[in-house]
Amino acid sequence: MADPKELMARYCDGDASAFRELYAAVSPRLYGYLVKMSRSRALADDLLQQTFLKVHRARAAYVRGADPLPWIYSIAHRTFIDEVRKGKRAKVNVGDGDDLPEIAADIGGNALDATDEPRVDSELLASTLDALAGLPEQQREAVVLTKLEGKSVAEAAEIAGTSVGAMKVRAHRGYEALRKLLGGRTKEKAA
Amino acid sequence: MTDDDLAMPPFAPPPLGAELETELGGIKPVAMRKPLRQLAVLLGASLIYGAGMIALLSTRPDMSELPVMWMVGGAIAWALGFMVPLYLAVMPVEGSMMPRRRLAAGAAITAAVLFVVMGMLIHPSGPSSLQYGTERFLHGHPCLELGLATALVPVILGAVFLRGALPVGARWIAAALGAGGGSLGGLVLHFHCRITDPMHTGLIHGGVVTVAALLAALLVPRATDVR
Repeated sequence: MADPKELMARYCDGDASAFRELYAAVSPRLYGYLVKMSRSRALADDLLQQTFLKVHRARAAYVRGADPLPWIYSIAHRTFIDEVRKGKRAKVNVGDGDDLPEIAADIGGNALDATDEPRVDSELLASTLDALAGLPEQQREAVVLTKLEGKSVAEAAEIAGTSVGAMKVRAHRGYEALRKLLGGRTKEKAA
Repeated sequence: MTDDDLAMPPFAPPPLGAELETELGGIKPVAMRKPLRQLAVLLGASLIYGAGMIALLSTRPDMSELPVMWMVGGAIAWALGFMVPLYLAVMPVEGSMMPRRRLAAGAAITAAVLFVVMGMLIHPSGPSSLQYGTERFLHGHPCLELGLATALVPVILGAVFLRGALPVGARWIAAALGAGGGSLGGLVLHFHCRITDPMHTGLIHGGVVTVAALLAALLVPRATDVR
């Protein structure tokens, strides 16, 4: 992957192809973050486009040599929060299977497009996403950023506009709540 | 449950939307933000404006009667109150592009509280000084207005410079801009106003910082936000 700093600088210098490269490099994870937060692919599609439109319109705020990723994630975070506040579409949609990520699988149930990725139990994946939807918004974001997006607590705090301590507490509480939710569902299934 | 259990395959993002494609079609180079240069312009322009205000309004007639140490120390304190929050609001950490909102917030709160308390506690006066006291406290409102008018330049310039740079924490950064601008207002009042009772120097001169910080926190995020 090309260096986002270099891509961002080229993009600010007027190189549209650098923006496309940046989009290709950043959008998969950012889109994943938005899907996990919004629990709707349609909404995440819209939020991703809004996020990059804002990035485009605010690109003059870029400081040469700085890492643009926390800033881009913060814009995505803010865009999601604004959407939730609008209360239009950002509802938690637990039971709708259409919005769950579909993973192509072979006859043995193995994901076809993720041979290099960690093997994921599709039921656990669905359960995890459902359980995530049951968490309060701030805890969900903390778990998504620190556990699913692989951000450090400091990075997650910067993205969410909160302190490191608060992010630690949210992540811990969210993780514990998620563990209980998933544990409960596993027991239900076993019964 | 382990972290590995939570590992998920990447999601396939949608292609660029039509609106983005249209905007990209007309892409032009933009001047990137240069925080140090912006800080220099912000401080320089604000100081010139503040000095212009003092020149326009005249200096306080009791200045020669007041302790030199207090005049100088007060001016340094106001100047620090002006520069430190603005520095923290505009300058990001090396390698980052977003300002240090927690430190900026701390500086804004400290300045907002400190100048009120200091004004209440330390307020020397001379024969030519005026005392309004509680009875005529409200007659001191022109000082609040003058201080807020002085704060306008740093706040507006700061908001322009930080447009798009504050997706989160904009209110705290805005409060720091307001506190910095309000402190410049306090500096102007320090050299202009001869009312020296504690209510006036504390609640009005110091209050300029608090009110400017609150107003900036309320209004500036609308200006820095990119939609």
